[in-house]
Amino acid sequence: MHGIRTAGDLVMRMQMKGMRLNKAKEYVAQKLGTDVFTLSDEYAMKEIREELGIGTINSVPGQPKGLKAKAKIAEVLDIKIPCVDMLR
Amino acid sequence: MSSTYHTRMGDGRRIEMTKEELKKDIEAGASEAAKKIKVPDLTDNEKGHLLEIFTAPERVVSVSPEDLIVMSTDVGPDTIHMNYSEFGGVGVPVHTVTANMIAERVVGHDCVMNTFRAGNFKGTSVSIIQVQQDIENLVKNSIAPSLYVGMPNFGAYYKPDGPFDNVGDLISKGKVEEGLKIYEDIIPACKHDISWVAEMTAQVGVDGINIDTAAAGGDGEFLASLQATEEIKEKTEMSVLLNMANHFVLGMHGGIKYDGQTLGNMMPHQQVKVAEKAGVDIFGPVVNTNTKKSVAWNVARAVTAIKECSRVANIPIHPNLGMGVCGAPMVEIPPIDAVSRAAKALVEIGRADGI
Amino acid sequence: MSKEELLEQLSESIINIDEAAGMHAIENALAEGLDPVEIIEKGLSAGMLEIGNRFEDGEVFLPQVMMAASVMAKLVEVVKREIKEGEVTGKSGKIVFGTVEGDVHDIGKNIVKILLQANGFEVYDLGRDAPLTSFIERAKEVNADIVASSALMTGTMQGQAALETMLREAGIRDSVKTMVGGAPCTEYWAKKIGANAYAENASEAVKKARELMA
Repeated sequence: MHGIRTAGDLVMRMQMKGMRLNKAKEYVAQKLGTDVFTLSDEYAMKEIREELGIGTINSVPGQPKGLKAKAKIAEVLDIKIPCVDMLR
Repeated sequence: MSSTYHTRMGDGRRIEMTKEELKKDIEAGASEAAKKIKVPDLTDNEKGHLLEIFTAPERVVSVSPEDLIVMSTDVGPDTIHMNYSEFGGVGVPVHTVTANMIAERVVGHDCVMNTFRAGNFKGTSVSIIQVQQDIENLVKNSIAPSLYVGMPNFGAYYKPDGPFDNVGDLISKGKVEEGLKIYEDIIPACKHDISWVAEMTAQVGVDGINIDTAAAGGDGEFLASLQATEEIKEKTEMSVLLNMANHFVLGMHGGIKYDGQTLGNMMPHQQVKVAEKAGVDIFGPVVNTNTKKSVAWNVARAVTAIKECSRVANIPIHPNLGMGVCGAPMVEIPPIDAVSRAAKALVEIGRADGI
Repeated sequence: MSKEELLEQLSESIINIDEAAGMHAIENALAEGLDPVEIIEKGLSAGMLEIGNRFEDGEVFLPQVMMAASVMAKLVEVVKREIKEGEVTGKSGKIVFGTVEGDVHDIGKNIVKILLQANGFEVYDLGRDAPLTSFIERAKEVNADIVASSALMTGTMQGQAALETMLREAGIRDSVKTMVGGAPCTEYWAKKIGANAYAENASEAVKKARELMA
C-alpha cells in the first residue's frame, strides 16, 4: 500500500493486532473519517495525514515525524504503540 | 496478435508459451497442489482468471486500488546496507537506521524491519545491546510499525557452531535414537533464544517480532517457534509474525506435537491453525518454487495452497513471495513480470492479506 | 507370480519397512529364478527411491527413511550372497560430498547423503563449510567417481563454480563427474559452471547419480 505515502503503515499496524485485511482497512478508514478506496490514494492521504498530524512522506519542517507522529497515530487509531508509551 | 506469450521457467529463464500450453500448466500446477498439499482444486473461473493474468500483454500487472495489500517485506529495509552473501543485499554503505528510513520514506514500505547481521536469534542473543541501540534510534525516527526479524535456525545449535552434537551427522550414521534425543533437547534452547531476544527488543519499544524461516530445521524448530510465541504473548504486548521456510514441515523427528497435533508434514492450511493457537498475529505461508516447471505452473500451485490457508485462517496471512517462493523464480533478482503476476494471483485468488 | 509382481513385493517391503516381508519376497524372487542383481536394482532400490520421494513430498518422516535404509542394507546383504563371483551389481560408485566453504547449512546435505548411502553409494562426507581444496584431496585419495557439492546461499554457490576450475587445475576433472544442489541452484546454474548434473531434491540426487554412473 506504500506505507506513509498512503495509509499502508496504519493498515499494517491493525494487521499486526491480528485483524484481517478488509477489517483492518475498514477500521482505519472509519478512524480517519474516510473510505477504504481513499486509503490508497496518495493525493487524498497527504491532506488527511497533514490534518491529523500523523506524518507524511515529505519532510515538511514543523510537521510531526517519528515519535511525535506515532503518538498521534496511537490516539487516532485508539491503539497502544509501545515506544510512544515509553516516551510518556 | 502474438500466438505465444513471454513467460519464464521457475529458474527465471525467459520462455515463450502458447495460450494452450499456459492453460495446461495452470491446470497441472493447481492439480499438483490439490493432490500433494491436499487442498481443494481451483475452480474453472479461477483457472481462467490465472490464464488472463498470464496472457496479459503488460510487463507488470497489478490489482485494483481496493485490493491493494500491505507488505511485511521480510528483512527488506536492511537489504539496502547488507551485502550479497547475507540476504541478497545491495550493500549501500549506510547504517541500519538510515537504511530503514530510506525504506520508509523513499521506497514507501508499510513497516520498518531491523535485524542483526546473519539473522539468527542465537547470534543476536550475544549482541543484544547493539541491537537494542539500533532499535531505540529507529523507533525514535520512524513512523511505520517496527519489527525485529530473526531466524530460529536449529543448525546454529549443532556442532561446530553450537553446543549440541550434530543431529544430522548422528542420524545419517544410523544413531537415530541418540540423534532424536539431542534434537528434542535443542527445542527449549531455541525457544529461549527467540523469546529472550523478543523481550529485549520489546524493552526498547519495537512493535513486533518476525520469526522468519520457521521450521527450516524441521518439526522441532517449528515447535520451538510456537512455544516461543506463547511466551512472548504472555510476557509482552508485542505482535508476532511467523514466517515459514517450506510448504510442509520437514519431519526431522516425526513424533513432535503441538496442541496434540503432529507437526511433521503439516501443510500451510494446518500450520496457520497451530500458529493461531500459539498467539501469532500474522502468518507467512510458503510454497517452494519448482525450477523445472514454468512460472504459470508454480503460481497455480502456490495460489491453490494459499487460497485454502487463507480460507481457514482467522489471522492475516502474508505469503512469502520472493526468490524461489510462492511462484517467484529461483533467481537472485526475480523478474518483475513473474513476481507481479504471482502477487496479483496471490491477492485476487489466494486472498492474501499481505505479502 | 509375474516378474513385475515379485519386484513390486520387494519394493513394498522397503516402503513398509518390513524386513520379514522383504526376506520372504527375496525367497520368492530367487525361487522364481529372478536375477539377484535385478532383485536389488529393480526391486529393493525402487522401494528406497519411493521412500525418498515420499519424504520429499512430506508424506514420511526422516526416522522412517532411516529405518527403511537400515532394512534395505540388511536385505541387500542377503541378496549379495546369491550373486556369483565375478558378476557385479550395477556400479554404485564413490561420492565425495560436502557443503562448500562459507556455508554452514547441512540439513539437506545430510538427507541426500542418507538416500545415496541407502542406494548403495559410498559417500565420503566432508561436512559443512568444507574447504574447496578438501574436495580435491578427498577425490584423489578415494579415487572418487562423483564430486557433489551443496550450497544454500547465492554467495556461497560461487564455490561450486570455483570447484570446477580447481578440479580442472588438479587434472582430475575428466576422471570425475560433478553434481550440484542446494536451494539457489538450478539446472541452468549446473550448465553454466560446467557441472555434469543438478538435483532438485534427495531422491533426484540418487537418480542423477545413477545416471552419471551408467
